[in-house]
Amino acid sequence: MSKVIERPRYVCALGGAIGTIQSLPRAIPILHSSSGCGGNLAGALSGASGYNGGNYCGGQALPSSNVSERDIVFGGEGRLQEQIENTLKVMDGDLYFVVTGCMVEMIGDNVHAVTKRFKGEKLPVLAAETVSFKGNSYYGYELVLETLFRDFVEPAPVKDAGTVNLWGVVPMQDVFWKGNLGVLKSLLKKLGYETNTFFGQGETLENLKNSGKASLNIVVSDAYGIEAAKVFEEVHGVPYITVPLPIGDHGTSRFLRTVGKALGVDEIKVEKLIQEERKAYYPYLERLADVYNDLDFQRYATVVGDPNYTQAVTRFLSDDIGWLPELVVITDILGEEQKERVLASFGEYESGLRPEIVFDEDASSVVGYINRHWPQNQGQKYHKGFAPGVIIGSVMERDTAEQFKVPLLPVTYPISNRVVLNRAYVGYSGGLTLAEDVLSLVVAHR
Amino acid sequence: MAKKIKQIAIYGKGGIGKSTTTSNISAALSVAGYKVMQFGCDPKSDSTNTLRGGEYIPTVLDTLRDKQIVRAHDVIFEGFNGIYCVEAGGPAPGVGCAGRGIITSVSLLKQQKVFEELDLDYVIYDVLGDVVCGGFAVPVREGIAEHVFTVTSADFMAIYAANNLFKGIHKYSTEGGALLGGVIANSINAPYAKDIVDDFVARTHTQVMEYVPRSVSVTQAELQGKTTIEADPDSNQAKVYKSLAQKIINHTESKVPAPMETSELRQWAAEWGKQLVALESGLIAPAAAGNL
Repeated sequence: MSKVIERPRYVCALGGAIGTIQSLPRAIPILHSSSGCGGNLAGALSGASGYNGGNYCGGQALPSSNVSERDIVFGGEGRLQEQIENTLKVMDGDLYFVVTGCMVEMIGDNVHAVTKRFKGEKLPVLAAETVSFKGNSYYGYELVLETLFRDFVEPAPVKDAGTVNLWGVVPMQDVFWKGNLGVLKSLLKKLGYETNTFFGQGETLENLKNSGKASLNIVVSDAYGIEAAKVFEEVHGVPYITVPLPIGDHGTSRFLRTVGKALGVDEIKVEKLIQEERKAYYPYLERLADVYNDLDFQRYATVVGDPNYTQAVTRFLSDDIGWLPELVVITDILGEEQKERVLASFGEYESGLRPEIVFDEDASSVVGYINRHWPQNQGQKYHKGFAPGVIIGSVMERDTAEQFKVPLLPVTYPISNRVVLNRAYVGYSGGLTLAEDVLSLVVAHR
Repeated sequence: MAKKIKQIAIYGKGGIGKSTTTSNISAALSVAGYKVMQFGCDPKSDSTNTLRGGEYIPTVLDTLRDKQIVRAHDVIFEGFNGIYCVEAGGPAPGVGCAGRGIITSVSLLKQQKVFEELDLDYVIYDVLGDVVCGGFAVPVREGIAEHVFTVTSADFMAIYAANNLFKGIHKYSTEGGALLGGVIANSINAPYAKDIVDDFVARTHTQVMEYVPRSVSVTQAELQGKTTIEADPDSNQAKVYKSLAQKIINHTESKVPAPMETSELRQWAAEWGKQLVALESGLIAPAAAGNL
């Protein structure tokens, strides 16, 4: 029997796909599934991603074939065709994307055969088999990207040296995705590059369609979007690099150096940009220096969540604000190869920190790891417990934080106790935002 | 107290003579004075043809395709001697889910309490033999049929299918599912055929309900769109079916079979294979080979 995951931090492949498509500008998802899927997923996605309900044709307003028993017995392809025709008539979009629920995959409906009938029409109708018994949100994200890269992005034999594509920040699963993509785009602009982020503010489907001419794909993750990058390389001949999500000076400077090197940017130019950014960054932190020491703002920290955020937050806490993030719990399901790549992103700390890193999907396990890492006071006057401590994780760490009487800052999915609009944690500016948020927890009781 | 309806499922490999046997059992029970319904659970929907003069009837699923709500009486048709005929039907080959279709059809009749309303004595489900998915196991699951009979010949592939069915029954037996009544040995003419089936039932802890010989009278009757009971009621073949029906009437207690493991079954078949080769090559006296 397979292992049960207690409080998983993602939805199904269909949910991941819906979240991804509804975050694309002017794209309309069409669900080929029974009626519960869309509604349940809209609730799960919105409530867990800082109340990002989705815009036009997102959230609760999703076109769906709503297959019933009759469609299951006789096959639902006819119902899907009708749904696509009607959606094209009444919903105003520029790209229509069919995604599937488990029930139609079980009975083997051929969605590609149906969408093929719409080939040559004014607007593109794509399809991906988002089989949720094969994977979770992240798998759905990969499938949507792979389909876009194969079937929507136009071939571009001539590459533009000044354009790059960037992904790996998963819409909805990264609750701060929109703000984060914007920051990364403007950072690369400072390095002299136009960046397609597909999902960020101001992006268009036209950019996505022409993204085949990019000279490099930057996957800002050691776990997500890599399969899609391989497809992009195979179909459009654009190489890719993976680079960890950057938060604060130490993370972002590494990011700029890695990307700069891959793009062949003059090292001097990269270092100049880093110096400029630091000039703006550190004076803000310097303002806190006295009070940080006088009131002792330093904390132990446990970082819990997906691989993108945990490595970024750990580096930021350790190297940018001098905390002791000694324990990291990575909660996503990862393969051995992914684990190796992820582990490698937890090294080379300026502070000399060597955090304990564990892979465990269950929310309730975190307590045990904290107790193991910081043993409880057993009647001793002096002991090294998890105090004063802070947990940086998701809303699922609330119970754990209450148990240890430590503050919690939710930055990884799911987040249901914050409303998130354009807040960003990546880059230099995002580092300052995160510093504000975590240090505010330290003074919250005053 | 309301009388208990005896619900029976008949399984077997495709082409083994399942529908022929089932229809003749239905006909024999009906002639004996019982009220019978035959429920065809095969997307081919030809189970009840010989009870209806060779005619196909609209299936539950055909009707469901056209209408939102199906009244059970729209899909029940009377056949020979007042036997109620129902066909579950199914999707076109290669699309949809035939198994779900069986579930839908069976539960539709069950929900509408038609069996009680028609005051039936027997409901006989004629089910596609290879129990390929959960849907085809519905008649043996809790609350539907009580007794399962398997039609098999001495052909090894038919016996494999029967053994697979035994595995299914074994699985559901702990959850209140149907148990095995026995094996109906069909097309038993050669003596070795009887021996093979006898050996199989002995190993799997079950019994043979009846040995049904292959007979031209069955083919003749079917060509007229009739069962042997209807077309040739006094023939020897009809007597065999009547005897089988009587045994089913008398049958009260079904059991959990002991299916063979795949490797065991293979070895068992291989040993029989060796004996049959010996027979063919004349190592066994022709007299022992009966009417081969």
